[in-house]
Amino acid sequence: MKKKNTQKKKKWNNYLVVGLVMTGITLAIAIIGAFWTPYEATAMSASIKFAAPSLTHWFGTDNFGRDILSRVMEGVETTVVISILVVAASAIVGVLVGALTGYFGGLMDEIMMRITDAVNGFPSILLALVILSVLGSGVEKLILALAIAFCPSYIRIVRSEFIKYRDADFIARARLMGVGWVRILFVHILPNIFSTFLVSIVIGFNNAILAESGMSFLGIGVQPPAASLGKMLSDAQGYLSSAPWYALAPGLAIVWIVLGFSLLGEGIRRRNQ
Amino acid sequence: MKYICKKIITLIMTLFLVSVAAFLAFQVIPGDVVTSILGTEATPEMEEALREELGLNDPPVERYLNWVSGVLKGDLGVSYRYSKNMNERMPVAELIGDKLPVTLWLAAYSLILIIVISIPLGVLWARSKNHYLDAALNVISQTAMAVPAFFLGILVTYLFGIILKCFTPGGYVSYREDFAGFMHYLLFPAISIAIPKIAMTARFLRNSMLTEIRSDYVRTAYSKGCTDRRVMYTHVLRNALMPVVTFLGMIIAETIAGSIVVEQVFGLPGVGRLLISSISTRDFPVVEILVLYITSVVIIVYALIDILYRMIDPRISSK
Amino acid sequence: MIKIDHLSVAFDGTEVVKNVTIEIADGEIVGVVGESGSGKSVTALTLMGLIAEDAVLTNGRILFDDVVLAEAGKARDKALYRNYQGDEMTMIFQEPMTSLNPTKRVGTQVEEVLKLHTKLSKEEMKEKVLDTFASVGLKDAKKVYDSYPHQLSGGMRQRVMIAMAIILKPKLLVADEPTTALDVTIQNQIIALLKEINEKQKNAMLFITHDLNLARRLCHRIVVMKDGCIVEQGETKQIFETPKEAYTKRLMEAVPSRIQKKEPRICTEEILRVEHLDVYYPSGSNSLFARKEKHHVVKDAGFTLHKGEVLGLVGESGCGKTSLSKAILGINHDVTGSIRYDTVRPQMIFQDPYSSLNPTKTIGWLLEEPLRAAGKLDKSLALTKEDRRAMVYEMLKKIGLKESYYDRKPSQLSGGQRQRVSIGQALITKPGFIVADEPVSALDVTIQAQIMELMQQFQEEMQLSYLFISHDINVVYRMCDRVMVMKDGQIIETGDTQEIFDHPKEEYTKLLLLNS
Repeated sequence: MKKKNTQKKKKWNNYLVVGLVMTGITLAIAIIGAFWTPYEATAMSASIKFAAPSLTHWFGTDNFGRDILSRVMEGVETTVVISILVVAASAIVGVLVGALTGYFGGLMDEIMMRITDAVNGFPSILLALVILSVLGSGVEKLILALAIAFCPSYIRIVRSEFIKYRDADFIARARLMGVGWVRILFVHILPNIFSTFLVSIVIGFNNAILAESGMSFLGIGVQPPAASLGKMLSDAQGYLSSAPWYALAPGLAIVWIVLGFSLLGEGIRRRNQ
Repeated sequence: MKYICKKIITLIMTLFLVSVAAFLAFQVIPGDVVTSILGTEATPEMEEALREELGLNDPPVERYLNWVSGVLKGDLGVSYRYSKNMNERMPVAELIGDKLPVTLWLAAYSLILIIVISIPLGVLWARSKNHYLDAALNVISQTAMAVPAFFLGILVTYLFGIILKCFTPGGYVSYREDFAGFMHYLLFPAISIAIPKIAMTARFLRNSMLTEIRSDYVRTAYSKGCTDRRVMYTHVLRNALMPVVTFLGMIIAETIAGSIVVEQVFGLPGVGRLLISSISTRDFPVVEILVLYITSVVIIVYALIDILYRMIDPRISSK
Repeated sequence: MIKIDHLSVAFDGTEVVKNVTIEIADGEIVGVVGESGSGKSVTALTLMGLIAEDAVLTNGRILFDDVVLAEAGKARDKALYRNYQGDEMTMIFQEPMTSLNPTKRVGTQVEEVLKLHTKLSKEEMKEKVLDTFASVGLKDAKKVYDSYPHQLSGGMRQRVMIAMAIILKPKLLVADEPTTALDVTIQNQIIALLKEINEKQKNAMLFITHDLNLARRLCHRIVVMKDGCIVEQGETKQIFETPKEAYTKRLMEAVPSRIQKKEPRICTEEILRVEHLDVYYPSGSNSLFARKEKHHVVKDAGFTLHKGEVLGLVGESGCGKTSLSKAILGINHDVTGSIRYDTVRPQMIFQDPYSSLNPTKTIGWLLEEPLRAAGKLDKSLALTKEDRRAMVYEMLKKIGLKESYYDRKPSQLSGGQRQRVSIGQALITKPGFIVADEPVSALDVTIQAQIMELMQQFQEEMQLSYLFISHDINVVYRMCDRVMVMKDGQIIETGDTQEIFDHPKEEYTKLLLLNS
């Protein structure tokens, strides 16, 4: 009876559907935000400073009279683009290094593990902060710093999966057949780890978004006048008693994006089970 | 015992590597420190004097050894940015000194909140047979995990500070002046750090328990005539808590990271804020020491967790 | 008297146990025999009140001395059951390792039964546990009492489980495949122990097994189950001598026994020669500080294999037979000695049909891969895509699978079908020599027989040589021309199959033969 259940794999679940819808909306906003916003995101106007949410400004305006909705849209775009680049870079490095060290083991693996062990326990936002302080600020450097900070966790995940499959019977057989190692790594093993890896990629988006907005909040990430959700929040903090809506929109936007990705990750995880 | 010795040696080696990395990282920084301190209008003589004062003319290996031996003796170096008085630079030790307790108290406070709340919550969740309660906890925890600590800090400030007036936002009280007031103020940043971590830990414990419940030994326990309650508390809980111990290690590391951001929100004078300001002003001696310090804490916490794990899991300790 | 009365159990609306009636009298051992999926375990768990909560009793009831413990249409009365569980009715499970709580001392775990059902003092409880440990043949009961499960061997753990089950002299003892996870010699000791307990305590016993031979040796009566239904039940003697149902007959014929003899063949052309082979395994952690210690798993092995010959390798788990085979194929690297074979790329068939096929590929792809690999290694063997496809379809036919299986994934196949694909994959490049590591042990008996037949068929057709590894001496008897017996890393006896079975020289070989 146990076996019957595994064969009837459910394709969809609530997490997956809600996660996909939320992430879809996020991506749509990011794409629209790249081409069109209701107002110019940097257009200031002294006459409408701190306008409360209304029909003309859905989320109100900020201390320079800029439209918050427009700035949030642009902020979402910035955040999404940064995290896509960060995740893509660190995942690719993770797959290459993790596959090689996991499959072959040996001295390289020992050294890699010592490094990732030391780095892995270290909170990634802190690591990114330190790297950024060495590199100096700027969006490209922010992406590089976050990518370096996230690499170890991908290496670890990929490595442990490759170790799991390295000694699997079907890989032993492939070796007996005389299949070359490159083909074993990327044709025989890689598809097996895809579903596990997909979950960590989705979770990686979460971490990238949280780290980016956290660093921008601290003033070391995306620099003004470019709109970023974290920076907007740190500006809004000063006007919390007079204009509480200022903080609400960028904050909720972050929650929305992150929640969408985590539901998506959970959905994929449940589907894999 | 042999294991603990090994662990300590590994720990020292890792710390050594970190110290080299921390030191080296700031050697390769583009731009001359001296110019950035003195500005472009300084004379070459002034620059040379400063270089000599900061020991920048020595070869790197010697500088590293000087730095490490200093750190070991308790001399953490001097700040590039802060001055004690007209003639003396501010020693890093003094700069960090009174900020450290703030951060440590905040982290400890949050950790206690996390453990005290998440464990009963996780057990309750695992035992909930009510579908709706389970779904509700699921949605709540997913949402809580999605809120970044700084936004949560802002929400807490608005709700408890501005609306409910439980505390005065920005009205930090030093622990030296009024410890009770200090702890009262610290509660709110601690809540902001703890909420997402509580959701994570409770969720982790719940999943761990549900995995354990499917084990064969649970069936054996039922076959002896144990009640659900007895199976849960005498058999499942202990085994389910073991992976949680390791998980908590990660949570501790993240709590420290979380405190850096939250210090900024609540205006707490902790090492987190110092780190941020030192990074933006490129005050490298301070950054080096703080990196070394935070890494040490994280590494030591992991080592302790590892040793603790070996003590409570007979499968490892008796091997 | 315990009675399972017209019981039907359903999961998600599908009945997995259908109208099953079994009566067990005091002192009687009733064997329930069936292949996987026959519903035997579900019946036992339902009887014990341990079945998963989502199972529904759709018909019948369970009677224990005229008390109705469970009945269709009524909610499960857990409190009522708890009075019986552990006290009047107890159960022994298949996996003694996972059936004990890994983080509690075994003494405490057995004591828990007394805590729940008696009012003994602490000292009395401990004394009773120690006595029971001694009575189930656990030497040094005090040490066992303070041990954790992982510190005990499989046989000792199962003895602990038995002690836990019999400490309160239950009226009913249910044993669900209690010896399947154990080596044959241990298996026999456990069976003898169960017999002894039954004679002493006069409990009713329900013995669940897939192994007909085992049931024959222990049980008074036998119930044969298939697909949730009872096919036949009767006295053990009657079932074995005059089975009424075709399925029972089939089941008995499929069991490899020493009735089916293999015609010995004389093979002379040498294909593999192993001399002074030692195999080592690294042990301990790979930490920087640990001195690298090695286990010496195979000691000075030497033998030859001839063309067209099946050479059996017999031994209990941990004797080094798998290490030896992997060394021959070059999967183990830490070896000394010489291995020479005169054939291209020997292949291996593994025990577990689930882990030996890449789950992300289709059957067609899996069968084609050896051809692709061979083509890449040796350009003269390279084939066109069409030729490869044709060969794959031909192989599908040979291994008895329909063409439509070409596009299926391994997860859509049964264990037996997967093992067929495994064999096909190993043979598609026509190697002269195959190492088969317990190729049938994970399969049900009827499937086992089919796979052995398939392997024999291929052997005759292709003049193959097999190194056939098995712990099941009867399977070896049926398959092999010659046999090697291995113990603690050493080959202790080699000879023609018939010779070894009729006149074993070594004590250990005699013991192995006696025990099966």
